[in-house]
This record gives sequence, structure tokens and C-alpha cells, in this order.
Amino acid sequence: MSDMDVLSPEPDAPIPEEVVQHKVIEARVSRGRQIGTGVALVLIGLITVLVLGRSAHSATSIFDFNASGGGSVPKLHLPAQTACLVLGLLIVLAGIYQLIRGFSPRAMKWIGSVAALFFVLSFLAWAGSGGSTVQVGSLLYQSLFLATPLILGAMSGLLCERSGVINVAIEGEMLAAAFAGAFVGTIAGNLWIGVLGAIIVGGLMGAMLAVFSIKFLVNQVVLGVVLNVFALGLTGFLFDGLMANNQNTMNDPGFFGPISIPVLSDIPVIGGLLFNQNIIVYAMYLIVIVIDVALVRTRWGLRTRAVGEHPKAADTVGINVLRLRYHNVIMGGCVAGLAGAFVTIGSVGSFTKNITSGNGFIALAALIFGRWTPRGAVGAALLFGFATALQTVLSLLQTPVPINSNLLGTLPYLATIFAVAGLVGRVRAPAADGEPYVKG
Amino acid sequence: MRPVMKIAAVAALGSLALAGCGSKPSSGSSGSSGSAGASGSSSTSSSAASGGASGAAAGAKLKACMVLDTGGVDDRSFNQSSWAGMQAANKTNPNISIKYVPSNSSSDYIPNLTKLAGQNCDPVIAVGGLMESAVKSTAAKYPKTHFAEIDDASQGSNDYGIQFNTAQAAFLAGYAAAGMTKSGTVGTWGGLPISPVTIYMDGFTEGVTYYNTQKHKSVKVLGWNEKTQKGTFSSSFTDQGKGKSITQQMESQGADIVFPVAGGAGLGAGAAAQASNGKLNLIWVDTDGCESAAQYCKYILTSATKNLSQGVQTYLKQASDGTFPTGNYIGTLKNNGVGLAPFHQFASKVPGALKSELAQVKTEIMSGKIKITSPNQPKS
Repeated sequence: MSDMDVLSPEPDAPIPEEVVQHKVIEARVSRGRQIGTGVALVLIGLITVLVLGRSAHSATSIFDFNASGGGSVPKLHLPAQTACLVLGLLIVLAGIYQLIRGFSPRAMKWIGSVAALFFVLSFLAWAGSGGSTVQVGSLLYQSLFLATPLILGAMSGLLCERSGVINVAIEGEMLAAAFAGAFVGTIAGNLWIGVLGAIIVGGLMGAMLAVFSIKFLVNQVVLGVVLNVFALGLTGFLFDGLMANNQNTMNDPGFFGPISIPVLSDIPVIGGLLFNQNIIVYAMYLIVIVIDVALVRTRWGLRTRAVGEHPKAADTVGINVLRLRYHNVIMGGCVAGLAGAFVTIGSVGSFTKNITSGNGFIALAALIFGRWTPRGAVGAALLFGFATALQTVLSLLQTPVPINSNLLGTLPYLATIFAVAGLVGRVRAPAADGEPYVKG
Repeated sequence: MRPVMKIAAVAALGSLALAGCGSKPSSGSSGSSGSAGASGSSSTSSSAASGGASGAAAGAKLKACMVLDTGGVDDRSFNQSSWAGMQAANKTNPNISIKYVPSNSSSDYIPNLTKLAGQNCDPVIAVGGLMESAVKSTAAKYPKTHFAEIDDASQGSNDYGIQFNTAQAAFLAGYAAAGMTKSGTVGTWGGLPISPVTIYMDGFTEGVTYYNTQKHKSVKVLGWNEKTQKGTFSSSFTDQGKGKSITQQMESQGADIVFPVAGGAGLGAGAAAQASNGKLNLIWVDTDGCESAAQYCKYILTSATKNLSQGVQTYLKQASDGTFPTGNYIGTLKNNGVGLAPFHQFASKVPGALKSELAQVKTEIMSGKIKITSPNQPKS
């Protein structure tokens, strides 16, 4: 994840004897940071033991891992109080070790993730001890569903920002494309043409961003905000004028149903979760993998990163900086268009005003939180999706102590703050992100 | 951190906040969203009284004007229904001339109200409880003009409140859901925890509870606890994806009838019903779902409706008969201000016994024999 920022030579290139090899030395974590994470772990562990463990009912919580379709696994029965005690104590122990000896940064990432998992598990056990079954399968399925537009949006942002153009307009690109997907899909009577329409409109929005930011050197952040307002106003106006009174003929495209992939979809838990999805989700898997590989392993990826970090240097070695930026920003628009298509014809089948409801901004946050890397952004988007889905699960279960719904609404943001502070550390944007390139 | 990134952060936050404003909760949880500059200009459109000559029509001349909330007159929701009440009043009595002004944002409320009052409009009707303070200050400035506000209580002698006790309609909906569920679990969720939304959830829950006590059953309600006033919310009236997700999670917890109270986000519940292959059905809110969300009609058992046009029409009729009413109009089952929509495609599936029980429950609510205890009900 982190070594992607470094421009490393081809790994298989022969290294001459006399060249001193760089030894990877892991920087020692500062004492302050070590104590900080240690104390945080101990606190989280203690909360798990004392608050959750004590207030949980002494019943067993039942976890159901079966999502829609796929092979089935038996339900897991977990004695809630014992689970909270044991898992909480393990977190406390990890915290104490961190305080005394200290984990290496690499190990700390794993410990942090495992501790988070333990905490979520005991939290679910606590929530489920009121008697209702915790539908873990459904929770994960919904996390992926809610994360899909975020992941695609973040990929759109990544394409732009790694080549040095800030994309605050993801929301607007998605919204315009969501409209186009529903509208074109209905008029043509074909969802595929709807997707195509959405991608084209997303690309056009991207082209606007590209022309104004690259050719006319408009401040990219202001431009992004303007494009968002433009998309909100235009789709609202078109909705009122076209769709509002012609729901059946202009805004009823239907939506893509799930396609289950043979064999893979029969894997218990994961099969139903990952391989019983619709075509846009499969396209998303592909896009993420392609970007992740291409960014470090292809000439395009190397050039993109070079242009994003140091356009002048890239220019001197003969890379056409502006053309590459145009190319990437429009491509980013197309990916945001696919995200928009998911919002309407990929999930609910009709457009309503402001249907994206800020998801484009969350996608942008996921990109930054994921350190402008594909894997990081996917992880962050999944975390946001999970926190949102968890919010619903908690409100549906009869938790031992009722949780305020406004407080639950803050869950995705709390999760972000903790994850950023505890696991991600310092975030560095591409060096030339947001800086227009003028030759000369 | 370079300054540009700081600006980026601030701007992103700012636009996030703007987007938040866009999806403001409209009264009665309609799905309209205020999109800046999107919905119409602030020009007025008027429908002139067709010559006051028709002396047969009773009553004095009235110049009734309406300030709409954001979302436009064609919002398939509260603006449209309120304006329909004006149109109906004009049709039955041409002496009532009607006119409306749309609002593009909440900052238009006071200028619009002031403008209409200055044009000798009487009465001036404000649509939506969000105009509460704007109506209060304008009504104080024009003490001789009569004001009325939909979804808000009267705030002075020249301000009339047009309110709806939708808990009564939702009670019937809850009873119907409890009578129709096969899994023994039903669900309800809202857009935001505000009283025009939670009043529906209260009524729905009470309807199910009443069914349980009458029938010695134990139908469970997911998503709302009336006692603690806590439950499941999408935090948005526009995010259909979230609506779908919540509804599917309710389905996975066993619910087979869901009552979304979230305007446009509720359409996501329709998509969830469609995806469930007929296992999951819905109860619609505010308007008859088979008209306002016709594409999902085959999944809509019935709707808990709020008859805004009836409220407006009643008010205008009283005013044109000579006396402006004071205090509050409260739409109830009794005066047809709220109600349960027809079963449409479920008409043949709903057992006759349940239909007659619903009629019975309705009479008992009207007579006061069944007491609805929702704390969110409007007080007269």
C-alpha cells in the first residue's frame, strides 16, 4: 500500500554489483505515538470489558452469516458477556504490550485491524444479546452495496488527482450521470444504453472540468464546487420539466438484477456476498484491479504519477503533460458516470432530485483517507459503507441500552476519525495536485 | 499543508453543507429537495377569477395567494396538493381568485410573504411548517391580513393553523399491516427524527399494538420504539440507495411489510420490494402511492394519506362564506383530512374480515373510543 508512492526501478532489472542497494529501514515509531496508540488500545479494551461486557444481557447472541444466495453456514452462537470479556481483555493486552515494548509499524497495522475487528464483534454480540439475531451476512452485503458508488467515485477522483487535477466535482459528475442513466435507459428501453449514456455524460462533465482547469487554469476547487451546483440545478430543472409529470415514459428504467457467477457464488458467506451482484459491481471489481495494477506496472501509470508529482520533470523527458491530464480527467469522469449509473439503474431504478445526496463528497473523503491509493480508497469506502449499514443494524436490534439515532448517525464519521488518527497517520497528496501546469 | 489544500478542505465542507441544505426535511416528509436555482423563477403565475359575474356563487370576493415551499408546484407532494386545494376552491367558487409564488430557498420565505401581503392578498397561505417564524413576523407586520400556515399551529389572531393528525391514518395502516403480515414482523423507518415523520411512526406502532391486544397476537414492529422515541432513520429524504438498504435489512430481520416515511428516499423501499420477488410489500405515506409512485403500485398494500387540498379548500370555503376562521384546522379521519387509501391491487387479497375490522377501528378512532397517545399529535 505505502510503497506505491515510490518510483521504484523495474524489479527484474539487473542491478550492477557496485551499486549500493537500498536497505529498507523501518523508521522507529516516535515514543509519543507509541504511547498514544497503546493508551487508545487499552481504553478501547476496557470499554469493551467494562461497558459492553457489563451491560450485555447474559444471553447468547446469534450471528447469521448467510447473505442472499450462496452456500449456507450454520449460525454462530456467542455468549455475549463472555465474548466481550475475552475479546476486550485481548485488546487490553495488546495495548499493554504496545506501551511496554512497542510493535513495529507494520505489525501495528495488523494489530490495529484485529483490535478493531474484535471491538466490532463484541459490539455486535452486545447489541444482539437482546434476543434478535444479528444478520451479519446482510450487514456485509449492505456494506458493499452502500460502498459501491463510493468506491467508483473514489476511483474517479484517483484518476484525476494522481495526475494532478483536484476533483471536487465527483458528486456533480455522479448526479448528472445518474439522471442520464435513468433518462436514457427509459427512453431507449434498454439498461445497457442507459449505462452508456451515464458514462458519456460523466465523461462530458469530466471534460468540462478538464478544459476549465487545464486550459483556462481556473482554481480547481472552486471549479469543482461550481460543477456540483451546476449538476444539482440542471438535473433538478430537467427533472421538473421532463420527468415529474411523465414518470412512466421518462423515469422508469428498472434496474440491473444480480447475476450469480457459477461455482464462485456457491462459496459460503463470500460467494453470496461478492459473486451474486449486478454487472456494475463486477465492473467495479475490474476497474479497481486494473487501476491498482496499471498505476504501478504500466507506462501509463508511471507517467500519471510523474505528472502528478512533478509535471516539469515529466515534461522535460518528453511526456505530454496536458494531454495526459485531459485523458485522465475525462476517464475519471467516465468512472464517476458509472458510479452515477449505479445510483439509479444499478440499484433503485428511478431518478429523484439530489439522489446522490453527498455520496460524491464521501467518495472524495475515502480517496484522501485512503492516501490516494486504490487499495486504501477501497478500504476507506468499505469502512464508510460498513459504518452506515451498521447504523441500521443497531437501530433494528433491541440493544440492551437504546442508542440515540442522532448519535448513531455520527458513526461513520467517528469511525473515520479513529481510523485516520490510529492507522493511517500522515497523509501526503500528490505533490502537484491542484497545480495547473504552464509550460515555460 | 499548502494553502490550496486548506481551501480544498473548506470548500469541500462548504459544498457538503450546501448539499445538506438541499435535502432539507420538508413538512410531511415529502421528497422535494431545494435545488438552488432549479425550480422556477420567482415570477408569479395567476389564475384570474373568471369574471365575478357568476353571482350564483356565494360569498365575498377573495384574493387568495399561496407561498410554496421549495420543490416547485409539480413536486407530486405537499406543494402540489396544497395548490390543488386552491384550484378546487376556485373551481367551486370563481369569486376566489388564486395565485402562487414558489420559493427557491428558505431565504425567499419572508420576501414572498411580504410581497403577497403588500399586493392586498387576503388570505396568504404558507405551505410547510418550515415557514413558521417567517409567517409569525410577517403576520405581525400586516395585522389586517389573514395568514394561514400548513403543518404549523396558529401563532396569532390573524394566523390560522392547518394541521393534520396523521397518527390516525398511520394507526389504520399499522392495523392493516399487522393483519396482513405472514412473518409476524413489520417495519417502519423515517427520513429524519422530526415530528411530521415520527407522528406516522407512532401511529403505525400503536395500530400494530392495538391489533396485538385485540387478537392476542404478537406482531413485532422493527425500526421504531414509541416509548423511547428512537428508531431507524435514513438521515436523508433524497438518498434512495440508503432507503433500499434499510428496507432490505428490515427484510433480513424478518419484516414482510415496511412503512417508509421518507419522501423520495422511500422510493428506495419500492426498489427493495421489487428485488424481493413479491416477498416484501409496502405501505406508502402522505399520498396514495398507486398515484404518486405508480411504478411500485403492485407492492403497495395501502397508503396513509394526508389530504392537504382538503384542508386548504375547507379554509377557503369558510373564508369566502364571510368569516375567516381562527385557531387551527386539524385534519382527522372524521373530516377526511387524513385517511387510508384504497387497497388497489391488494383489494382481492385483503380478507373481508380485516376490511370490516378496519372500518370498525376507524369509527372507534373517530368516536374517541380508541385513544391515540402519540406525543407528536397536533394540539388544537
